[in-house]
Amino acid sequence: MGQIKGQLGHRGAGRPPDLIGLLARLILGAVLAVAGGLKVTSPASSARAVRAFQILPYDLAGYVGYALPVVEIVVGLLLVTGLFTRASAVVGGLLMVAFIIGIISAWTRGLAIDCGCFGGGGTIAASQTQYGRDVLRDVGLAACAGWLVVRPHTAYSLDHRFFG
Amino acid sequence: MRPDASKKIAKVTPKGGPNPVVIGAIVAAVVVVAVVVAILIGNSGKSGSSTGASGSSAPVGVVGGTGGGILVNKATAKGNAPTLDLYEDFQCPTCGELEKAMGSRLASMAKAGQVKLVVHVLSFLDANLKNDSSSRAANAAACAADAGKFLEYHSAVFAGQPAQEGAGYTDAQLTQFAKTAGITGTALTTWQKCASSGQHAQYVTDVQTGAEKAGVFGTPTVKLNGKDITKTLTTGDALVAQVKAATK
Repeated sequence: MGQIKGQLGHRGAGRPPDLIGLLARLILGAVLAVAGGLKVTSPASSARAVRAFQILPYDLAGYVGYALPVVEIVVGLLLVTGLFTRASAVVGGLLMVAFIIGIISAWTRGLAIDCGCFGGGGTIAASQTQYGRDVLRDVGLAACAGWLVVRPHTAYSLDHRFFG
Repeated sequence: MRPDASKKIAKVTPKGGPNPVVIGAIVAAVVVVAVVVAILIGNSGKSGSSTGASGSSAPVGVVGGTGGGILVNKATAKGNAPTLDLYEDFQCPTCGELEKAMGSRLASMAKAGQVKLVVHVLSFLDANLKNDSSSRAANAAACAADAGKFLEYHSAVFAGQPAQEGAGYTDAQLTQFAKTAGITGTALTTWQKCASSGQHAQYVTDVQTGAEKAGVFGTPTVKLNGKDITKTLTTGDALVAQVKAATK
């Protein structure tokens, strides 16, 4: 009985954990894809936003700024479609951890910058900084990634369709 | 937790289904190519330094090496005067407000030699506003520096700043600013050539790079002897008082 139920659940979409996984995939994937899409058309701004954190050396920060939107878009699309869910979630989760470290670092060093997460970036008035909100959002997204790394099996995924 | 089947899947190609290894390799290749292309495109925007590229030398008055700002009052600055570094983008509305609030005060302090006024004209807003007005205006201002009229040109640009951020500057406006700044005759002809050819374009890029390397990621930024005093500049008097205090 348990055996049959498990097999049916494997194919179906109705199991609650699979639906939670689907939700995690869509939230993390959509946010990544949108964030990347907003930045990919202005690489100079993206590079400057990364440099404004003043963590990486000037040139390396530039490369990260140019590459990051592309990586975000690809990982975002993979997550939304549910292809290579676990690997994509690992990358997405590592990105979130890096972002959280970067934002907290800027915060504690007293910088007044826009995280540039969805475009923009650079120095802003101290009263306009939103470090707490940004960190909270990224912690939530990291939690989505964590769920998917532990349990990559989700409803309506291409992993399902392609690889069984 | 369900056992991870990925290893098993990787070993055997499912009947009739796509091969995960093949798809994975394709996805990985796409990512690598896209990242390389993105970095190449990003890097193509900037190259080299002021020296070398023909016809794009640094303008008159540059201090602090490649990408340094323009010392506005070399002739009058007193030896004991503190250095005031001003970082501005001609399309930045807050810079326009700063100019309105204390531009004339700054100019008179510079003329009296009470500060060594170094202006760094930035151009990062072009990327944000998706135009090229900051770079063109910065180049035009560098050309005005060659004519010995930098500060006058600087004031003229801010006086003519569009009400709407992002509207930018036409070439005709930039030329009008030169006339307002008092550039005439053969000097105006030289300025025109310099402005339309983008003679100092590389210098403009270098100034932006130099500012970011100095930790300046926003405008306006005002540094007095290297210390960021932007937040304290609530009034013109506050500026004067700080300059006085920094004078040895």
